[in-house]
Amino acid sequence: MILRNDVLLDIATFLARRWSRNPKAVIVLTQDKIPMGKPDKNQIVLPFLNYYPGTDFQKYRQWRVALWYESMRLLYSTKVLSYDHAFGFLLNTVETKRIELLGLRQWNGMRNELIFNEGMSWLSRPLLNSIHGRHKISEAFSQYFLTGYLKGELYGGEFERVKKASEFANNIVIESIDNSYKTEWIEQHISQLIKILELDPLSSIPIIAPRTRIGMSLSQSDVLKQLEKLVTMKHNYKDDRKALKEIVEGNEILSEFESLVEESRKTENKGYESLENFGLSIPQKMDVDETSIYDTDLIQKVKASFRNWKTGWIERHGDMGEEFDPESYAESLPKTFLIDYKLSIKTKVVILLDHSSSIEDVELEYKRATIALCEALHYLGIKFAVFAFSTDERRVKCWVIKPANIKWSVISARRLVQIKASGGTPLAEIYGLLQPMIKSFKPDIMVTLTDGEPSDFDSVRQMVLFYRKMGIHMVSIGVGRNLSDSVSIGHNLIYLNYEKTMAVSRLQDIPKKVINLLRA
Amino acid sequence: MMMEINYLDWNNAIEILNKAHETGLFALIIGPKGTGKTTLVRKFASKTKKELYSVNFSLRTRESHLIGSKTLDKGDVSFVEGILVKSMRDGSLLYLDELNAAEPDVLLRLDEALDDRRQLILKEAEGQIINASNSWFVIATINPLSHVGTKELPPQLLSRFPVRVRLDYPPEDVELEIIKQHATIDNSKTNDIKDAIKLARSLREAAAVEELYYSPSLRETIAFAKLLNKDLAPKEVAEIVFANAYDQWGEVEYRKVMDMITSIFGN
Repeated sequence: MILRNDVLLDIATFLARRWSRNPKAVIVLTQDKIPMGKPDKNQIVLPFLNYYPGTDFQKYRQWRVALWYESMRLLYSTKVLSYDHAFGFLLNTVETKRIELLGLRQWNGMRNELIFNEGMSWLSRPLLNSIHGRHKISEAFSQYFLTGYLKGELYGGEFERVKKASEFANNIVIESIDNSYKTEWIEQHISQLIKILELDPLSSIPIIAPRTRIGMSLSQSDVLKQLEKLVTMKHNYKDDRKALKEIVEGNEILSEFESLVEESRKTENKGYESLENFGLSIPQKMDVDETSIYDTDLIQKVKASFRNWKTGWIERHGDMGEEFDPESYAESLPKTFLIDYKLSIKTKVVILLDHSSSIEDVELEYKRATIALCEALHYLGIKFAVFAFSTDERRVKCWVIKPANIKWSVISARRLVQIKASGGTPLAEIYGLLQPMIKSFKPDIMVTLTDGEPSDFDSVRQMVLFYRKMGIHMVSIGVGRNLSDSVSIGHNLIYLNYEKTMAVSRLQDIPKKVINLLRA
Repeated sequence: MMMEINYLDWNNAIEILNKAHETGLFALIIGPKGTGKTTLVRKFASKTKKELYSVNFSLRTRESHLIGSKTLDKGDVSFVEGILVKSMRDGSLLYLDELNAAEPDVLLRLDEALDDRRQLILKEAEGQIINASNSWFVIATINPLSHVGTKELPPQLLSRFPVRVRLDYPPEDVELEIIKQHATIDNSKTNDIKDAIKLARSLREAAAVEELYYSPSLRETIAFAKLLNKDLAPKEVAEIVFANAYDQWGEVEYRKVMDMITSIFGN
């Protein structure tokens, strides 16, 4: 796929939060799931790009429009029901029109993209003649209400019902917008809609991914021709070829898309694959919720306590400067002026996190402290890499949370949240696995957070010594359940040749302890 | 002749500063960058006809800038008074901008001058005592204390400013009025300016949670209005005024802002 999921996630998170005005909005990417906003969870579920038909760029445009709709749902809807039964399907469909109208008032620039999306999704809508059963009426209502047209034929009194239901639905949408009524008010009218359509509220609605409908029968030039025809017919662009061309080609979005493709290519080349070649593992799931390990208060406190490192200055004596120092002059010292230098931290750090079973009881708190540490390191502009180890399916794994040359982001947090604490502490083996990466990154400090009971004591001593000879300051932080536990772990660690050993029983102290090491 | 200061007092801030001044209570204005804090202070100085001495602490202000320093003049060491000492003697209005960016040694000396005695002992000048004139008045500004990553002002210094005025970004309709004060707006362009205000609001929200590195101020929305009068397309003006600044943080940052601009202005 031309666009990496982590790159998509980054842009989707940014856009969703701006569009929905919800700074807590979280994006979950998942295979072949219908796009859905969940206002109660501040979550938007989106499929991968291959859910959509067309070229990569066309897929991206449709995916982006889906993101916009679900962002509007987060902003304007208070309830989203499941699409797979009639009541939920109808409520969500009526809401889609309401949020679209409200959303376009704020984001008028989305109009062209919505028209394009309507054209593409029209191509993949099922032909009514091919649908049998009750859900034919629901699909017909959805088509007619959202687009004003039907794809295929209805028989008997079906069209009358659909038309009447659409008029009813349009009226309730207008009334709700005029009076600022919310989802609950719309919901009260769905039963009436069901009566008009003569549906069973619990009848099931099968959902099929768009790409499977459009099939391979249409070539790209056919798709574009169909698109032009639809757009011209619906939106009267017959005399405005330029506007039509803009909608079909989407040049407005093309620059953004190309920039993301370039970012994906750069990220690819930054060596995720090479890390796997060295026996390191990369947690792959992106449909996990990382918010449980984000302790906003802790993150803010840590950042606040180190803010002066970002903006601080130190004074040095020089031959010229801002201020004359009379004491130096009186003592006939060579440098009698004071110059200010801005503080900066050029230290490179590697952090290794013990995820053996001993941290299982405190896993969540431990991860929260790690996230606070990483957020602070990122805030201070310090170059760092983060790894973790655990036993997964009876194999020791060294996990890459954040490689040295990739920016810290929510993606790294998602990698961390999915690692389960289990197994022993084969520290020497892990140090060995990290060797190629350490040689290439050349960190100044390597910090190991551990419970202090490695399964290979002598080997660990040798590896620690080996890294120290490379010029790396090897530091360990013993993590204990309480003060005496952490002190005893600290004592164990002293014998492992670490240059400096610390102990923590309050996990919230981890970020400050690590960051204070960097100025020592 | 003093220039007329153009300030729209949308939240009654000048009245509060007047009351603070009448009762001799120093004031603290809390607000993000570019919300008009300096303009407000200048307007207040102009109304009260007080001379204004300004210090901006984000530009690395040394203790010597405030207090003064010794200098070598034809072989003799002499003392040159700093801005704090001058303002205390003159009884003028002292404006301490971005006080929470000041270094600890600077804050310590300020604290000495700002307490109830309004007195400063110049250890730099043989222990000379400086007593502030009765008309001396101080206004300080800081970023909101709830702002992510903001350094907190030490409590004892915070307590020297018992009158606190919040000056956040104004509501959108007020921002439009402020823009009208600085730029002529054609009625046909009002919607475009409202869109620019919406864009600025989105970018400010993103910057407040550090999703973007920079928060646009009222200066940008005013600049947008002025450029729009030169018959440039709204989207082009938005790119020039808002998006281009983000390019310094990389293509992705710039493209995120362009994405916002496209979804507001379209074509």
